[in-house]
Amino acid sequence: MPNDPSAVALVLSRVSAIFADEEARGVLALEDISFSVPSGAFVSIIGPSGAGKSTLMRVILGLMPHTSGTIIRKFSRPAMVFQNYALFPWLTALENVAFGLRMKRVPRRERERIAREKLKEVGLDHLEKHYPNALSGGQRQRVGLARALAISPDLLIMDEPFSNLDTITAEALKADLLKIWRTYGMTILMVNHLIPDAVELSDHVIIMKARPGRIKENVSIDLPRPRDIRSAAFFDRVDALTTTIRSVS
Amino acid sequence: MAGIVVVAMLFIVSGRLGSVEWATLLKAVLHTTYRLALAYSLALVLGVSIALLVGWSPFTDALFPVFDILQNVPSFALIPLFIYFFGYTDQMIILFAVSSIVWPILFAILTAIKNAHRDLNDAASIFGANGLRRISFYLAPLSFPAILTGSIVGIAMGWESVIGAEIIANAGGFGAFIKDASVSGISHAAIAGMLAILLIVFVVNRLVWAPLLSESSSRYAE
Repeated sequence: MPNDPSAVALVLSRVSAIFADEEARGVLALEDISFSVPSGAFVSIIGPSGAGKSTLMRVILGLMPHTSGTIIRKFSRPAMVFQNYALFPWLTALENVAFGLRMKRVPRRERERIAREKLKEVGLDHLEKHYPNALSGGQRQRVGLARALAISPDLLIMDEPFSNLDTITAEALKADLLKIWRTYGMTILMVNHLIPDAVELSDHVIIMKARPGRIKENVSIDLPRPRDIRSAAFFDRVDALTTTIRSVS
Repeated sequence: MAGIVVVAMLFIVSGRLGSVEWATLLKAVLHTTYRLALAYSLALVLGVSIALLVGWSPFTDALFPVFDILQNVPSFALIPLFIYFFGYTDQMIILFAVSSIVWPILFAILTAIKNAHRDLNDAASIFGANGLRRISFYLAPLSFPAILTGSIVGIAMGWESVIGAEIIANAGGFGAFIKDASVSGISHAAIAGMLAILLIVFVVNRLVWAPLLSESSSRYAE
């Protein structure tokens, strides 16, 4: 794993963002957000709704401007996986996965080869001709993941990727995600609302509070991997984070 | 469909349509259909291009109310203007019809682009559909269901505009035909003409729009 501790993928320093609500009043969505993400790390962001977690992701990706502060982006190929999949309904699973490569003008044969490979990696190679509306939630999210992997991202942002899935589907996808992270070694930033998930997956957990969205705490999880989710140490971490979360919600 | 056929049959059987000049009627209906088809094609190209360009630009929200006002100008109020510029010609009828068909198409597309899920927009941006390629690879396919519904509404308005303009300008086609028919008291001819147009509308709907609609509603459904 390319995990040079001195390298960072992302640094935010006192970042604030305001966005206009329906009456065009400015609402402070993010206030004074500072943290850094080491290259190749798995960082989770948890917090109550209204804490601006999704806004933070959009600001990091430059999809929305921030009003003050500095963002240093040391990544060049960001990709994103969405809570509601956000697949293009007019494209087949294969075409969805190949979309990013197509935009980079990769020739058809080459991009379809790569897309097939990624679909196979997420276990969906038999469904490449299906349109999203013919896929289940779990399958759609796998296509979404394959679409992100196809552009060999150095930063993978995931916005509550498991929240629309049932437990069994989510567990399977989580296991696959860990395997993919070990293989590719990209930096992962995941918005989450399940504390045990965050503890199981992450090197760092950032806890946010709402109105305005601020960072309450940035906790390192130094449990050895693969993590035993039934160990006492694991429960200790979950407990401690739960206490912190209770104090902000 | 069955209803139209039965009514038509009844008329024919009862011999009430015997006095209709079928050749003249058919020519008139085809002329109107030809004008509408041409007007729709022009309006489609115009409406889709403008809507995609505006939807792609950052000015959608600013231009929306402007289009709304323009759309609300009653199109028949503009007919003297079209006659002034183009006379009592095919071009006048066709361009006048374009001016009414283009709006529903334009608005349907702009609304679809405005209401697209933010995540889908973000996905298009993150995976590189930027610049002009955003139009061809994202906005255009995204607008497909809207182009369909806009076209259906637009064509309905198009029939009105073409026939209305033909009546007002006495410029041939079905409109002029029913005007003549009603003036000379041959209302059966007008009824026969209406049946012919109903038949055209029905066939086009069945063969073109219904299959496209069912395709788009199943694929684009959540």
